[in-house]
Amino acid sequence: MKKITIPFFDECELCAGDFVEVTGKIYCGRDAVLPHIVEMARSGTLAAAGVDMKGSLIFHTAVSCAGIAPTTTSKPEIEGSMVPLSEHGAKFHLGKGRISQETIEGLRKNGAYFLIVPPVSALLTAKMTSKRAVVHPEFGMEAFFEITVEDFPAIVAVAHGESIFAEQEGER
Amino acid sequence: MIAIDQIIQDVARLVVKASSHWDEDQVACWKKACEREDLPRARWAMEQFLKNAEAADRDQSPLCDDTGTPHPFLEIGDKAVLPAGFLEAMEVGIRKGLNDLPARPMGVRGNDLERISQCRSLHGEPGMLMPAPTQIRRMPGSRIRLTVLMLGGGPEIRSKTQAIYHMHSHDRVFEEMIQWAIPQVAALGCQPCTLSFGLGRTAVEASSLSLEAIKDGRYDVQSDVEQRITDAVNAANIGPIGLGGKTSVLATFIKVGNMRASGFRVVSMRPHCCMESRKASWEWETKA
Repeated sequence: MKKITIPFFDECELCAGDFVEVTGKIYCGRDAVLPHIVEMARSGTLAAAGVDMKGSLIFHTAVSCAGIAPTTTSKPEIEGSMVPLSEHGAKFHLGKGRISQETIEGLRKNGAYFLIVPPVSALLTAKMTSKRAVVHPEFGMEAFFEITVEDFPAIVAVAHGESIFAEQEGER
Repeated sequence: MIAIDQIIQDVARLVVKASSHWDEDQVACWKKACEREDLPRARWAMEQFLKNAEAADRDQSPLCDDTGTPHPFLEIGDKAVLPAGFLEAMEVGIRKGLNDLPARPMGVRGNDLERISQCRSLHGEPGMLMPAPTQIRRMPGSRIRLTVLMLGGGPEIRSKTQAIYHMHSHDRVFEEMIQWAIPQVAALGCQPCTLSFGLGRTAVEASSLSLEAIKDGRYDVQSDVEQRITDAVNAANIGPIGLGGKTSVLATFIKVGNMRASGFRVVSMRPHCCMESRKASWEWETKA
């Protein structure tokens, strides 16, 4: 089990298949808000909104009174945000399910990783110690949130152009 | 006669239980699947699910942040007398239960067209997610049994209701059901899942029977056909959250209804996600 602290600046080498635990302040967003975050990153207005992408982790989830848990990353607005946000410094994307070869290659070029976690809401929510909406709070549970987590469990699904799903495809 | 306020309280408690609790047979099935898994990442994922179930049960918190749409299933004894206002009390209880949990606020505001496009956003109150239409069956005796099932969104994308030409062979129908299940389970993202199938004469009947199958299904009871479907999908090596491994499906539940003279059977399949089945039942005695 490798421990990761966010923001992360390549303190340790990670490989596809590594089990990790994440601690620190992470960002949360999904379909509704991530295209806006990409646009803000491109126009250079994220910092003014209090968002620092360098070494960050983006968790693909809503944040509601029912808790947090990953939604499917391959939805177009979500997967489409991964490479652009990596180009602006995001180091990790945390979600669920497979992603395309094109996205895997985009993450490789930017030294970013894709982590996955089962949708274990009760477990993950218990590890969240704070939450606040930082961009588009009017989106409610689909706003862009900053949350603080401790020892969040995950597995590295994609690293350095390699995917644990590709290995499984070969076995099937 | 059962007091209306008692019905409201009982139903509210039922919604919280269905959303936060797995029955013993379900937990035992998960533990067995976890123990027989050799692939470390698949075993790790299943361990997270079991820890999650413990945390949800302990804290009475949602198993999943998609807390699902409540589907009431009512069984009424032939000699039971329903108190006036029972269905209204049931709906009030469901609303209270969603608020008590609390569930994710997912009810969509607006008129027919506005609700389709979601242009007027969502109700802030979790309880404003209206339940699905109530299913009703009869049973012997003087009791009323209500089961509430919480059905999440992901499996609906992977559900399928369609006619299958039987060619006078039940094997042909079951093989077709397996061929439906493998790609949909692979695409679900929230494996291992539980498959439910209803076989009937119409799309409405088959869907209703599929819901009845998951309501009645016990994870420690599998017919030969149910086990055959479970084994066939598990052979595809999809595994927990698609990570590969021995368990993609924990169990299969099938309900075969009445048939009519025709060359097809309507089959309704729902691949219930890893957090399901989420269900709880309560009974009221109506005998004076």
